[in-house]
Amino acid sequence: MACIPLNLIPPPKAIEVRNLHVTLGDTAVLRGVNLDVPAGQVVALIGPNGSGKTTLLRCLLGLQPIQEGEVRLLGAPPGRDVMRRIGYVPQRLSLDRSFILSVREFLALKLSRTRSWFWHRHRHTDHQLAEVMTELGVEQFLDRPIAGLSGGQLQRVLIAFSLLAKPELLLLDEPTAGVDTPGEHSFYELITSIHRRHKLTVVLVSHDLSMVYRHATWVYALNGVICCEGSPEHVMNAESLKMAYGIHVTPYHHHHHEGHPHGHVHVG
Amino acid sequence: MFMWDDAFMQRALLVALFLGPMCGLLGVFVTARRMSFFSDTVAHAALAGVALGLWFGFVDPTIPMILFSLVVAGAMLWLKEQTDLLTDTVMALLLSGSVALGLVVLGMLKGFRQHLDRYLFGDIFSVGWTDVWTALAASVSVMTLIFLNLNSLTMLSTHEDLAHVSGIPVKRLNYLFIFFLTVTVALSIRLLGIMLVTSLVVIPPAAARSLARNLRQQIILSLLIGLLASGGGVALSFPLDKPGGPTITLTLVGVFFASLAISRIRSNWRSGVQEV
Repeated sequence: MACIPLNLIPPPKAIEVRNLHVTLGDTAVLRGVNLDVPAGQVVALIGPNGSGKTTLLRCLLGLQPIQEGEVRLLGAPPGRDVMRRIGYVPQRLSLDRSFILSVREFLALKLSRTRSWFWHRHRHTDHQLAEVMTELGVEQFLDRPIAGLSGGQLQRVLIAFSLLAKPELLLLDEPTAGVDTPGEHSFYELITSIHRRHKLTVVLVSHDLSMVYRHATWVYALNGVICCEGSPEHVMNAESLKMAYGIHVTPYHHHHHEGHPHGHVHVG
Repeated sequence: MFMWDDAFMQRALLVALFLGPMCGLLGVFVTARRMSFFSDTVAHAALAGVALGLWFGFVDPTIPMILFSLVVAGAMLWLKEQTDLLTDTVMALLLSGSVALGLVVLGMLKGFRQHLDRYLFGDIFSVGWTDVWTALAASVSVMTLIFLNLNSLTMLSTHEDLAHVSGIPVKRLNYLFIFFLTVTVALSIRLLGIMLVTSLVVIPPAAARSLARNLRQQIILSLLIGLLASGGGVALSFPLDKPGGPTITLTLVGVFFASLAISRIRSNWRSGVQEV
């Protein structure tokens, strides 16, 4: 029996999308998207407003009916079984302030599928949450209602919530919208460390080019179709970004502080 | 106490004690999901159900009332999915349409005024033993099902997409919740009347919100406020010689302002202690 050398076995795919078409109303939002995300990467999905980033994410999560094409996550179509292996971090929770679900109660929802959080004792819940609480630094606001958290605190709680199910793939929708710049910086540091420690595939939908440049290992630029893909250095050049954004977008790499590159956008 | 010797008083009190906590418990999720206007629409739809039931010769129009409310709830979901109309517009359309249909059909019946008053303002002292057992069965089943689905329902109220990704059958649970709410509101019309029934769903969680620090406390307090205010309202209405429904609502409003005052005093006291 012939043996295949290990280095020739293709890495497993976290996400496969084939010829995906989605029309919302009269608008063809996705017009033949193809994606192959290898496992273990930090992938950024960038593109201008209305480029179909969120629609593509909703297709991956099985929330959006598709007209044509195929989506596979971790080798299976989006269904209840595969969703158990996926973590999803929405942009925000549109919670009414009258709903005073505390952070502890929210996290406890993920601890047991059968036994209600209502009957959990605090000590019992905290014991089960200990590891993720320390990692994400959410202990200090366990008793606070999630509707009253700041953008950055909420993102940490939502990631903690996802990690409790030990996912293999983490999907984040515009995670730093509503987070201030220092908050953004520490947020991406956190994502990098989670990626390293949990050996996850991370997919970030983002408009933040400089952070994508620094933290992603692979970038897809989307505008109805995938305009270009590759390493951040490859994709984040003026030519590729102009294809995606339709305007002149220049990532410039000046070196201040620790020599981190930044991106900026100007309409030309 | 002499007034409890009367069977109509016992029945009224039992119905109030069964329906109050059920409304209080369901109300926590109704307010969290911004569905207060939905329950108001379902309540008003019941008028057309009552009218059609009486017109078709039902002596007790409870079943046609529930059925018509369910039809209107279904129509609301269908119109929301099939059109670009705002939810508020759909609700206003169905609310006014149902009331108009109810009034037209009731106008063709004898004793129009009596029927209208009974259902618009409630008539708790006219309930029979069948109503008592119906209220008990509804209360036990709705509360049991809510507690059994508390994880999913809490998740659904937090974020529907997140609930879906967490493996919760969002659509099925949504329909189940709307079914519970419609039946609860329709049954509670005997207690408070169409005009006031939403108060028993909305005010207990609002009052509990002022006092509670987390959802568990809000659920427990809302359930207790629903129980005490509906029972207390019925108990007060007889010696005061006032109608049951409005007395329950005024008791609820009183509890709401009392809880608001307690919460203000508590936070002032806390900030005072911190300053010292």
